[in-house]
Amino acid sequence: MRSTRSWVAVTAAVLALAALAAVLVRVLAPAGTVAEITVDGQVVESIDLSRVTEGYSFTVEGQWGSNTVEVEPGRIRVSAADCPDQVCVRQGWVSDSASPIVCLPHRLVIQLTGGESGVDAVS
Amino acid sequence: MRRAGCLLLALAMAALLGGCAPEEHAETIFAMDTVMTLQAWGPEAEDALVRAAQRINELDRTLSVVNEDSDVWAVNHSGGPVTVSEDTGALVALGLELWEETGGALNIAMYPVVRAWGFTTGEYRVVPEEERAALLARTDLGQLDYDPDSRTVTTPAGMELDLGSLGKGYAADQVTELLREAGVTSAILNLGGNVQTLGGQTDGSPWRIGVQDPQDLSAYLAVVEVTDGAVVTSGGYQRYFEEDGQVYWHIMDPSTGAPADSGLLSATIVGPSGARCDGLSTAAFVLGVEGTADLWRAAGDFEFLLVDEDGTIWISAGLEDRSALAAGYEDRRVEVVRP
Repeated sequence: MRSTRSWVAVTAAVLALAALAAVLVRVLAPAGTVAEITVDGQVVESIDLSRVTEGYSFTVEGQWGSNTVEVEPGRIRVSAADCPDQVCVRQGWVSDSASPIVCLPHRLVIQLTGGESGVDAVS
Repeated sequence: MRRAGCLLLALAMAALLGGCAPEEHAETIFAMDTVMTLQAWGPEAEDALVRAAQRINELDRTLSVVNEDSDVWAVNHSGGPVTVSEDTGALVALGLELWEETGGALNIAMYPVVRAWGFTTGEYRVVPEEERAALLARTDLGQLDYDPDSRTVTTPAGMELDLGSLGKGYAADQVTELLREAGVTSAILNLGGNVQTLGGQTDGSPWRIGVQDPQDLSAYLAVVEVTDGAVVTSGGYQRYFEEDGQVYWHIMDPSTGAPADSGLLSATIVGPSGARCDGLSTAAFVLGVEGTADLWRAAGDFEFLLVDEDGTIWISAGLEDRSALAAGYEDRRVEVVRP
């Protein structure tokens, strides 16, 4: 009986700690905003925007064309592209998950996850 | 001690389970000239989303205006009666219904006009008036015959259909139904700005849908709360070209054959059916504030949010308690339209 009791106590303690840890991780972890860049659904680059300290840019060369991506602390944009419609460039800086940057002709999508966004989708 | 231990155990288990929300599943697909994201929650969602993607691709092939195997291609190139699939038939029927309801502001036969302006090819040009008049003569839907029993479409010579103004909304309806039948109770779809929701969020609260600021594509100017419904926006900002300092967008006014010029920058429709909201948002953009308000009073099954050239937001009374201005837009002028 005694061993059963101590097992219950130990299990309860472990679970309680795990639950506490889970809550703490959620509450205390910084809201890292990660930008995932995909071409035709394949991830080509993943950037934690909350860890970017200095701006930089790079070019994504896909089979349909190229997009120059510029990154700054907490935000990202397509600064230039050789697509015909320039919709991706015109969208400008994005800093939350609400509206992904999409370059349809190049099948390039920049989707942000995590961080704060007040909405679930944008119409 | 034992009782305390059991209680502690029970509490710990509850805390752990409580932190365990239904699993999210997502699909991203390129179809219908746009990018689509499908998100659904729960164990049923994974397989259902794969079938949803297949269904969308199937609809894309059937409804495409450029795919030579599509129903729409057959109608546009046969010169005689064409028997179409259930999907195409449903959209032709809906197109005719909305054409009548909107007084011609939604017209599924505008393809020759849109093509002349270069929106299908990228070779943009301003179409002169006589040419527009000749093109408009080919868009009289009163001359289209659709027999729902045999699903036969008969078009007069020169008429060309494009179901693009309804297709994404219809696809959203179809996918929502597929997910519902699979047992999914919480899902949100974004088919290139056509947002559709199944149920509410996993915690039961409504979805929060942002309405794009037509003058700043990186921001939304208002938020609408929706459970089980569609939010569709049509705007001039989506596709346009500029010539001599003038902006020409892709949404054509069927009465002029030129880009719609109703004083609106965008028109958002909220309602139960994605296909209907899709068609109505285009019509609202063409009709402007007064015309849309009349349509709303007559129909009673949708709500609207319109942004005009001065930046004023016009909402129908039904959205008053379900919408709010976004952060940074608190000073924006809002006019509520009442029945």
